[in-house]
Amino acid sequence: MGKLDLRRIGLALAAPVLAIVVALVITCLILLAAGSSVSGFLSTIFSAPAERNVINILNNASILYLSGLAAAIGFRMNLFNIGVEGQYQVAVFTAAVFAAQGWLPGPVNVVVSIVLAMVVGAVWASIAGVLKVTRGVSEVISTIMLNAIAGSLTAYLLRKVGVSTGSNLATEEIPQDSWVPGIPLLPGAPNELLGLALLAVLAGIGYAVLLNRLKFGFNLRATGTSASAAVASGIDVRRMVVVSLMISGSIAGLIGLPLLFGSSHSYGTTFQAGIGFAGIAVALLGRNNPVGIAFGALLFSYLAEQSNLLEINARVSPDIVAISQGVIVLAVVIAYEVVRRYRNALEQRQVAAQLSSSAPAEATSEATR
Amino acid sequence: MRHTTKLVALAATVALVVAGCAKKEEPGGAAASDELCADKSGAGPKIGLAYDIGGRGDKSFNDLAAAGVKKALDDLDATCEEAEAAQEEPDSAKEERLRTLAEAGFNPIIGVGFVYTEEVVKVAKEYPDVKFAVVDGFGEGPNVTNLVFSVEQGSFLVGVAAGLKTKTKKVGFIGGVRGPIIDPFAAGYKAGVAAVDPAITVDMKWLSDKGDAKAFANPAGGKTAATALYDAGSDVVFHASGLSGGGLFDVAATKPDGTWAIGVDADQYQTATPEQQKRILTSSLKKVDVAVFDYVKAFKDGTTKAGFDLYDIKRDGVGYSTSGGHLDDVSSKIDEYKAKLVSGELTAPSKL
Amino acid sequence: MTQTMAVRLRGIGKSFPGVVANHDVDIDVRAGTVHALVGENGAGKSTLMKILYGVQKPDDGTIEISGEQVVLHSPADAIKQGVGMVFQHFMLADNLTVLENVVLGAEKLYGIGDRARAKITELSDAYGFGLSPDDRVEDLGVGQRQRIEILKVLYRGAKIIILDEPTAVLVPQEVDALFGNLRELKAEGYTLLFISHKLDEVLAVADDVTVMRRGTTVASVQPKDVTARQLAELMVGSELPSPSTEESTVTEDVQLAVENVTLAGPGDRNLLDDVSLHIHRGEVLGIAGVEGNGQTELVELVMGIRPTTSGRVRLGDEDITDWSTAERRNAGIGYIPEDRHRHGLLLDFPLWENRILGHQDRSPSVRGPWINKTGARKDSARIVEQFDVRTPSIETTARALSGGNQQKFIVGREMSGDPVLLIASHPTRGVDVGAQAAIWDHIREARRRGLAVLLISADLDELIGLSDQIQVILRGRLVGEFDPDTVTPEQLGSAMTGAGEEE
Repeated sequence: MGKLDLRRIGLALAAPVLAIVVALVITCLILLAAGSSVSGFLSTIFSAPAERNVINILNNASILYLSGLAAAIGFRMNLFNIGVEGQYQVAVFTAAVFAAQGWLPGPVNVVVSIVLAMVVGAVWASIAGVLKVTRGVSEVISTIMLNAIAGSLTAYLLRKVGVSTGSNLATEEIPQDSWVPGIPLLPGAPNELLGLALLAVLAGIGYAVLLNRLKFGFNLRATGTSASAAVASGIDVRRMVVVSLMISGSIAGLIGLPLLFGSSHSYGTTFQAGIGFAGIAVALLGRNNPVGIAFGALLFSYLAEQSNLLEINARVSPDIVAISQGVIVLAVVIAYEVVRRYRNALEQRQVAAQLSSSAPAEATSEATR
Repeated sequence: MRHTTKLVALAATVALVVAGCAKKEEPGGAAASDELCADKSGAGPKIGLAYDIGGRGDKSFNDLAAAGVKKALDDLDATCEEAEAAQEEPDSAKEERLRTLAEAGFNPIIGVGFVYTEEVVKVAKEYPDVKFAVVDGFGEGPNVTNLVFSVEQGSFLVGVAAGLKTKTKKVGFIGGVRGPIIDPFAAGYKAGVAAVDPAITVDMKWLSDKGDAKAFANPAGGKTAATALYDAGSDVVFHASGLSGGGLFDVAATKPDGTWAIGVDADQYQTATPEQQKRILTSSLKKVDVAVFDYVKAFKDGTTKAGFDLYDIKRDGVGYSTSGGHLDDVSSKIDEYKAKLVSGELTAPSKL
Repeated sequence: MTQTMAVRLRGIGKSFPGVVANHDVDIDVRAGTVHALVGENGAGKSTLMKILYGVQKPDDGTIEISGEQVVLHSPADAIKQGVGMVFQHFMLADNLTVLENVVLGAEKLYGIGDRARAKITELSDAYGFGLSPDDRVEDLGVGQRQRIEILKVLYRGAKIIILDEPTAVLVPQEVDALFGNLRELKAEGYTLLFISHKLDEVLAVADDVTVMRRGTTVASVQPKDVTARQLAELMVGSELPSPSTEESTVTEDVQLAVENVTLAGPGDRNLLDDVSLHIHRGEVLGIAGVEGNGQTELVELVMGIRPTTSGRVRLGDEDITDWSTAERRNAGIGYIPEDRHRHGLLLDFPLWENRILGHQDRSPSVRGPWINKTGARKDSARIVEQFDVRTPSIETTARALSGGNQQKFIVGREMSGDPVLLIASHPTRGVDVGAQAAIWDHIREARRRGLAVLLISADLDELIGLSDQIQVILRGRLVGEFDPDTVTPEQLGSAMTGAGEEE
């Protein structure tokens, strides 16, 4: 078994590595076709990031990670929660407005705001869940629509409650005593790790425990792989749909908080958008595995950070990195499928080998039983 | 599960690739790495330019900033480098873009668009010897200059033009998004129309609730809004909606004589098709090119000032265009209003 | 043995990665005979037939057809050589007519019009198939559909016809009709190669029998020389227990009571119509019926997967009509589902996680809200040991196991935690003879301990051998009660098809 496990780990790593290499090759081909500098691209992408860039990578990765987890919970349940985007927008807006009131002192304000964001994300996501189980509306359609509604709703409410600063329109700033200080991780860097980036770590642990240790997680995974078997085993699949979407939404609610409490201190028109969609790609890349998603988030964050230099140092449009990211996701899914089949064949061979070696002895015992 | 996973992967990939390619499909969307900054031989200021999403090719705001830089290259022997924002990037990416330019020795560095304000303030502290400017900015710092425009004054004047030209006593306005960016255009326009004849109604259409692509890169939405406004009886329509305004011009081109469209920021008559030119009455000018050039010149002369550098009607930083000669019959009247704005006898409101 | 050989296989070998499916297979099939190929599931029969039909290429050995050595690259090659195959699962388009189904893919032979229609009528009449070219397949019964499959093969000019478990889907009367057809075909000079593990049938129709075991041919016998039991022992390679009922263990206590239960269907017809039955502790109640007559619905209703439209269901003293599936399972209902892949297993999960399925609320697999990994692993190991599940480890995914071993694991799991009622839907379907006997033993033993069993099966021998009482279901209604000690398969078959019942 030990030997086999080593091989399994090797296989598990082979897929993403292979995919990244393939994606780089394809990206280089695109660059060549476009007449851009391949060497400039590669040297920029693989240049060692400066300390401040490392911090940026970690900050963005933690946010992407939360988004990836939110999407992954749904995927594990065979639900495509495309609505992470809308869920976090609504949640972070609510948290920003609430925290800015300063009704509660310092850290209590932060904690209550976090809980509030999770609740709002969950409630927003539950709309899609309820529609699915009561009316059979595909969660893909409803969450996409809810994204549009969330975007417009927050923009509308922002106009009602927001204050203009120059050309920016934002909610009132959170009182200073509720700001979450950064963590000076690398002394040489001018920037700091966002304090609430730690939420990503906690959420990751929570995700792993939920899925692998809790009965609920087992039910969720079982429903995800075979709804029919889940029903036969007594799982209330309709309830699971709503609850798992709510969990997904509550994690989505966390996405914007590290930025809100750590850097922007308000929710405005320039608040980062699009994290929810990136999370889908990250979850796929990480194969819905808590460690895998972390690698996926770090990789995407790394590529995005390095791409910033492309235009200035290599005169390559940073958009090429978006293409690389897309190709990586596609290549990874293909590679996983190839590895999965290989692994199945390997296992069947192992079973067959085991049985044929013990066959003569067992033939009799089988018959007499 | 596996099949759906593949589907979603495909969808995600397509989305990412489309996001990556999207801007290439925009008309005139030049990749930022081409011509403008190719020549590195100048001995003058080394200008770093950081655009928001889309960069050059908007026939408006960003192109005007680039035009100002172009003039600086020609007249001041400057060199430059440009970089633009990626789709939905984190704020740290903007900071990093500015830092990278600073590290690479560019000085001055110009952030095109208010979204750079906070990042410029932050990075400017780290590089006290580098001068920063933000177009439409509102940041503070000893080495930060905000290049700002009294767009409500230019819009007031095109509002006067609209009021003088309308036969139906009804005019329209298309805004990209409600909020502090576009409100001054709308408010100035409305006041200008009312100054001519308070009985004229102004119909307003907004394309989006958010300052996103739907607001400023949505010609189809512009078209729908324009059609609705004209159908409802407006015969002059002014837009402040970036690329979405292309839809307005398309619709206007199909309308009979006496129907007008008004452009924004740049003199949009210059970039329009001949059919559209027949209907483009004027444009509300926001002379970003002048401001950028002036700023680089001041930098070369060592006379940049921190804080707000206001380009208003007095400085001719905003105004209206007369290309096409459609305003010839009323230009004297418009200029009367302009003189009143300059003297302060009239003020254009910036809030709706 | 001077007769010409229609098929002569010598030294056929075929390996899949890690599995030797066939080795040293020698078969001689005399022309114009019915030749039966028997063996346990997984003995290599299907692989061998796929080789003969050109679906798979052998690694070793030679194939001679009508005295000529051939290499078959595809089914098209095989058809050219006059070999045709009738698969166990029909490959027919329901909404097309008989004519359309037959000509599909063979349009070049007789066109798609009158010539084809004439040919089909001719073939059908010649062998007594009774098929009309313009009947829609969806209106036809299982036996008729099978005849369409045979007709397809004849139409394409096959002289050697392989039939893969043709009787598995038929009731006894239909089986007799099929055998009649086969004899007619034989009389016309066709050669029939017939795969089965129903030994009585084999002995009834075959001229020669070849037995396969563990991938190779182990014996070639004439039906007159062997009994079914001897044949079974050849298949298994050792002596075999017989599925006979033992002394009754039926008690007075009613464990499951279904009272006047009706389940409304999508149309006018009720899927279940006023069904009532009682199962006592220690009793096995068998339900016989042609598939699709309400068995699935009855099982799902008792399991709480489908809600009842009217009527009550009681478990012991409790009215469980409105209970959820989970509550019913927790009350001690074990469930061996009809389709183990869809309803019984999480194929990509390891065995020990499959142990938890259906037992999410009970020890030893859970402790409060937590999964008890140690407990689940330990108990999986017990099931593997007690039920002789052949697997390298409990970490192996369910998918990697053979069907029989998967089924044994499911049976072991559903017997865990001392159930009071076991719903067993086709518990030995697709399971080899050895595992079948083991599963029967386990059911019988649990019955002795007082377990009540609702047994659904298409295998009438199984029903008769295990049940204390047999009910026949037809169109959602229970139409007859039989005593397994006295009933014959033919009587059951009549009741199942509604023969003798007034329409």
